[in-house]
Amino acid sequence: MKRFLIQLLCLGLFAGAAHAETLLIKGGKVYTLSGQGTLAQGDVLVRDGKVEAIAPSISERADRIIDARGKVVTPGMIAPLSELGLTEVSAASATNDYAVSGESIGSAFDPRPAYNPKSTLIPYNRAHGVTRAVVFPSISTWGEGAGELHRVFAGQGFAIALNGNFDSVVAEQLGQKAYLGELGSQLAGGSRANAFARIETALAEAREYLNNRDAIRRGNWRELGHSLADLEALQPVIQGQQPLVVTANRASDILQALKLAEEYKLQLIIQGAAEGWMVADQLAAAKVPVVIDAVNNLPISFESLGARFDNAARMHKAGVTVAISGPGYGSTHLVHLARQSAGNAVVHGLPYEEALKAITTNVARIFGIEGGVLSPGGVADVVVWSGDPLEVTSYPEQVLIGGEPQSLVNRSTRLRDRYLKPEQGHEMGYKF
Amino acid sequence: MQFRVLCRGGLLSLRGMAATVCAALLLAGCGGDDAAGKKDGPDFARLDAFPSTYSIEQSRPVLISGATLLTGTGEKLENTDLLLKDGKIARIDDGIKAPRDALVVDGKGKWVTPGIVDVHSHLGNYPAPAIESSQDGNEMTAPNTAEVWTEHSVWTQDPQFPLALAGGVTTLQILPGSANLFGGRSVTLKNVPGRRVQDMKFPGAPYGLKMACGENPKRVYGGKGQAPSTRMGNVAGYRKAWIAAQDYKEKWEKYAAEGGEEPERNLELETLAGVLNGDILVHNHCYRGEEMAVMMDISREFGFQISTFHHAVEAYKVADLLAKNNVCAAMWADWWGFKHEAFDMTEANIAIVDQAGACAMIHSDSAVGIQHLNEETAKAMVSAQRAGFDIGPEHAVTWMTLNPAKALGIADRTGSLEKGKMADVVVWSGNPFSVYSQAEKVFIDGELMYDRDNPARQPRSDFELGIIEAEGERL
Repeated sequence: MKRFLIQLLCLGLFAGAAHAETLLIKGGKVYTLSGQGTLAQGDVLVRDGKVEAIAPSISERADRIIDARGKVVTPGMIAPLSELGLTEVSAASATNDYAVSGESIGSAFDPRPAYNPKSTLIPYNRAHGVTRAVVFPSISTWGEGAGELHRVFAGQGFAIALNGNFDSVVAEQLGQKAYLGELGSQLAGGSRANAFARIETALAEAREYLNNRDAIRRGNWRELGHSLADLEALQPVIQGQQPLVVTANRASDILQALKLAEEYKLQLIIQGAAEGWMVADQLAAAKVPVVIDAVNNLPISFESLGARFDNAARMHKAGVTVAISGPGYGSTHLVHLARQSAGNAVVHGLPYEEALKAITTNVARIFGIEGGVLSPGGVADVVVWSGDPLEVTSYPEQVLIGGEPQSLVNRSTRLRDRYLKPEQGHEMGYKF
Repeated sequence: MQFRVLCRGGLLSLRGMAATVCAALLLAGCGGDDAAGKKDGPDFARLDAFPSTYSIEQSRPVLISGATLLTGTGEKLENTDLLLKDGKIARIDDGIKAPRDALVVDGKGKWVTPGIVDVHSHLGNYPAPAIESSQDGNEMTAPNTAEVWTEHSVWTQDPQFPLALAGGVTTLQILPGSANLFGGRSVTLKNVPGRRVQDMKFPGAPYGLKMACGENPKRVYGGKGQAPSTRMGNVAGYRKAWIAAQDYKEKWEKYAAEGGEEPERNLELETLAGVLNGDILVHNHCYRGEEMAVMMDISREFGFQISTFHHAVEAYKVADLLAKNNVCAAMWADWWGFKHEAFDMTEANIAIVDQAGACAMIHSDSAVGIQHLNEETAKAMVSAQRAGFDIGPEHAVTWMTLNPAKALGIADRTGSLEKGKMADVVVWSGNPFSVYSQAEKVFIDGELMYDRDNPARQPRSDFELGIIEAEGERL
């Protein structure tokens, strides 16, 4: 065992193995997104994986200095509600572990054992500035299992750092996810009312279980509709310790979810919220945050007829905490595109720093994980951008995760370098 | 969220938004600029069956003064005036005097490009809302449905058309989906409101034939226990069809030359024969480099030209072959991973194809992406620069304007700011290759079809009226 550990260390496979290095990022425009605000020109000192200091000028010696003059420094992006590490090729079912079909498991489903930190999606999105991700299972409504699903809970979420290490799960049991609206309706037999009823029944049974655990476990109780494993998994949700993520787009569906949250004292998070702007005041009053696709302005279904570009701006203005996910076509492989979406949200009225927070700070805050700000003592997930981080022509030049500089090489750059000048012959097969 | 991912990019999903496809025939350059020209011999293209009724009513002159022009011909002209007159680009110069009655647009600080051309769209045939009864993009009932014409599926009231207009898209090709080896005919539209699809049809634009390589046809039909179930089955299917088309074409040519008994018309073979005689352009959905190379050999075997490979995620691997064979590639900036054939993505794809001398372009295949083609082009431009290529906005703009126009065989009429061309023009709030820039004014044939500053000049489809509030507007 000891030899094995040494081998792991030699291979650099242990996160934190190289934490001792101190790094000084000098002279960049620093968006701390914390109490320290924005420094037009500032230095960030990183030690032992943490941010140690942020100031206009730091003269402390460091093992390594990163020249960020003319660059922009931000916390790393955090992807909300991705399936990173649980999928490789969407249409190749053997590579997908984010969803199960059948009735046997719902809220108890914990996809963590399936997490693959060596997924090619991880270095790719890291190279685009994503340092952490919240990972949730989902329910697949296409392919072989489609139509056989008769539940509305997808299971539990966790969080990862995108360093590719085997121990890169940084937070577990982050919450539960369930479906309302059209998708919920489809899963619950044809009416969104039944999706709502299913969630409510599960919560009610979880409460019943909480109050009568011993009797239920002894079998001295009425037959419940959920497995004990599911009811156990829901305990932190009904006790307000874990959030419940609910998908809802139509304004009236969102209000139903708010009602449920009030009745069961839930920490609710709305995913989707295409018509969130129509009930922004209610969301704000209930302190319920949203995770949205900020470029989804299509009336793509009858539940999102009110989809519009200024959804994020309007909700923010009303006081709602907004997180921005990758676009519908890039919710996992292209989670980094949340950055482009955030830039679009700025065009449509979301204040600039709020847009930055929507892809960093707010995600961390909503899910209760580290990161998303640069502040002394906080985790050193840092990106040095070539320019304005919300601009499509900017890109990361340096990415630190837990204080460690990351490789920005990925299959996109490898294939580019091999085929920069495609030509006839066999030699390209020997270019690595 | 995979179900959403899969709605696009060539996969068939529950919502039935199939994917896509493509390839076209090139006659000259990378596209068939004269493909619709009159020829002797049988009329396989049948341009007059559902003739375009497109027209532009007004032609008040428009002077855009002192803007930065990306001409689409490789030039960036600063502080330059652009005059639109009688629906055409009339003059590009300094100090143009506004004609009487002209609409004068102060172009100071603004950038101007040709109208964006999207070579790959499903607006109208996969409309929003995406309910089952309106998913009319793919006749998934046989591997060869060359007989269907997608214009017969287009719902002109799709609310996605005006959204694309606000993104600067003036011309778009609507394609059938990609489940079939031969998916049917495409149609090229001007992005204007219309009661009927004929009101939107780009006058004189050649038809396209959608073909599809790879996973989709073999999955859809193989899954039903019929051919094709493999990529080699796909190829056998193409070749059999072209043999039949050759025979059909010869019969009709013989009849045209010698008379006798009129052969029986066959809609499927008529479309394929239209490809063989150069009137219909092949738009070929094809992800893999190997398959593109095979398709180019098939085109040589049967004597036709492929216009464009669409969703050409691996075009960079065969970029030199594309250049040699005069075939365009339509690509995304960064989409990948939704299927195995989309796994080998590089963000330098467009750059490498371009630098190899082939005609490269961005495309959307998405009602979201079509609203941001300037941003998508910007990402591809930066990837080019990061790969070490010297490519700036004046060149990158061709990826969303002139090159897709070439692929559609309409580059002699639109796609660049050149005297005499259609006045399809976008005035941007700034450099279009910035996330912060927006199309402020969009002109089609010289008419102001979209004005960001004037809600009264922003079209809305029938569907949108009273849809949220009976008396209110959706947007």
